[in-house]
Amino acid sequence: MADLVAYILRKVILAIPVVLLATLIVFLMLFMTGDPINVLSPPHASVEQLDALREKYGLNEPVYVQYGLFLWQLLHGDLGVSVGFFTRDLEVGDLIADRLPRTLELMAIGLTISYSIGIPLGIFSALRHNSLGDRSVMVFTLLAYAMPSFWLGILFMWLFAVELSWLPIEGTTGGFASIILPAMTLGIGNAALTTRMMRSSMLEVIRQDYITQLRSRGLPEREIIYKHAVKNAILPVITVIGLDIGWFVAGSVVVETVFSWPGIGRLITDSISNADFPVVRGCILVLALFVIAGNLVADILYAYVDPRVRLG
Amino acid sequence: MTRMRKGLNDRLLAWKVSGGVKQTVADMLERGGRNAMVVIGSIVIMLVVLIALLAPVLPMADPTEMSDDLFEPPSTSHIFGTDENGRDVFSRVVWGARVSLLVASFAVLASMVIGIVLGLTAGYFGGRVDYVITGTIDLFWTFPPFLLALAFAAGLGAGLFNVVLAISISYWAGFARLIRGQALSMKERQFVEASRALGAKNWRIMFTHVLPNCLAPLIVWASIGVADAITIESSLSFLGVGTKPPTPSWGWMLQSGLLHLGSAPWISTFPGVAMVFTILGFNLLGDGLRDVLDPRMKGLRR
Repeated sequence: MADLVAYILRKVILAIPVVLLATLIVFLMLFMTGDPINVLSPPHASVEQLDALREKYGLNEPVYVQYGLFLWQLLHGDLGVSVGFFTRDLEVGDLIADRLPRTLELMAIGLTISYSIGIPLGIFSALRHNSLGDRSVMVFTLLAYAMPSFWLGILFMWLFAVELSWLPIEGTTGGFASIILPAMTLGIGNAALTTRMMRSSMLEVIRQDYITQLRSRGLPEREIIYKHAVKNAILPVITVIGLDIGWFVAGSVVVETVFSWPGIGRLITDSISNADFPVVRGCILVLALFVIAGNLVADILYAYVDPRVRLG
Repeated sequence: MTRMRKGLNDRLLAWKVSGGVKQTVADMLERGGRNAMVVIGSIVIMLVVLIALLAPVLPMADPTEMSDDLFEPPSTSHIFGTDENGRDVFSRVVWGARVSLLVASFAVLASMVIGIVLGLTAGYFGGRVDYVITGTIDLFWTFPPFLLALAFAAGLGAGLFNVVLAISISYWAGFARLIRGQALSMKERQFVEASRALGAKNWRIMFTHVLPNCLAPLIVWASIGVADAITIESSLSFLGVGTKPPTPSWGWMLQSGLLHLGSAPWISTFPGVAMVFTILGFNLLGDGLRDVLDPRMKGLRR
């Protein structure tokens, strides 16, 4: 157990430069736009106002001092203030905190959908290796993977909301029914990956000697598959659950925009069109932290399951 | 003596390069030709590329020309219908293919160049250089390319060049990892040692011996990379930070069609189908080639 703790500590320390890179990229974002003051000031600001704002945001300091200041504020949980038309001077942190639960909700249900499709399909596919069923599942994964999530979302919207009117088109007014389409859109793309992983993991397991040995002992096939094979095959699939966060984070921006889902992703696109860069960078930073945390979870789970990793 | 050594080195190089590259390509063609995914993927790609290349000479309307025939359903005069500005959807889909392919190929090419230079340097020299470069690669590898590209695109603003830049900065890490791994194993091989013994310079060994031997996995990655780049580009355009209207872009067309989904579904549907068709083609080629070249990787993709 001590080696696991040491491993986790090492991984956490290794995550620090990644977090710093994320902060650096979002910090530089403002400078990519040209002179940051144009973004931060209200339209038609006078020269005096501009000077005052430059002073306020510390834009007269050298860039590295500004970055240091940015980090210092981040450490105090201060993400700056919005410069959008309707939200000027509101705390970015508060704006994000308002939206965060919505995104988490979407990711949680999306993840559930993804695994409840991917794992059974993967098992089915592996057990009928090279059959018509297996091939159809593979075609499904290819299609689902090639489908950009915004296009899949539009198709779902068109079919289930416009043509069939089963589910609400967008927003959150429909209660739980509202979350089904966006969560399904997010989940199905990832389900393609999960299916493929589960299938190949299962294929590997059922060729192992101990499975043959169980067969030779005359255990019922059902018991061999579900009690022994699936249990082992599912482990590598579950351990990468943290890596799926990356997919969901990237997908949520697009899917929330399609379905007007009031989460962080939607906040990003709205803020981009309002040129509200402090909010954009705050949101991207928060999403990046999610990805980093997800990777960390994957590493830890992997080491927990496979002791060779943490000793190596 | 020096002349003789130089001559021998050149002959060694000539043999290695012609054998290496030609053999790899021939091998790919031969084995790939028996793989259904590779064949279907190649046909799809050739079709899309051909139509995109022929766009200026195809008999169709100007993609940016507006007319009074708004929201016309598909008919003989507009086989994909017209959009909210009366523009011919078919013509916009075809010109959109040019934009998508252009952005994706340049983005993949740029990522590949960054990846090759950094990956080769890290893998070949090892030591402290490797440590620093691998650290950087891992940093970039951690983030989903789309999230990075979104950050850069949002900062840089919409535009063809900015999209290419945003995607390349976000996508190179995969190529670098790949090349580094190959270079690590190649530099221990005897032909590299032989070449070094004959006095070849490091950069010469790197680009004439090590790189050609990375060709096969590089092609696989490039094909999958084009598919990913098209996805990223169209997603960025969909969000309004990709290519600038009136440039016909699939992502942007889908975005504007979203408003008219109930009344004029063809505005979104046709660019969407074209997009999936293209992405599928590149994915099929990449996945198929990988299965053919390295069966161990079958079914795994992360």
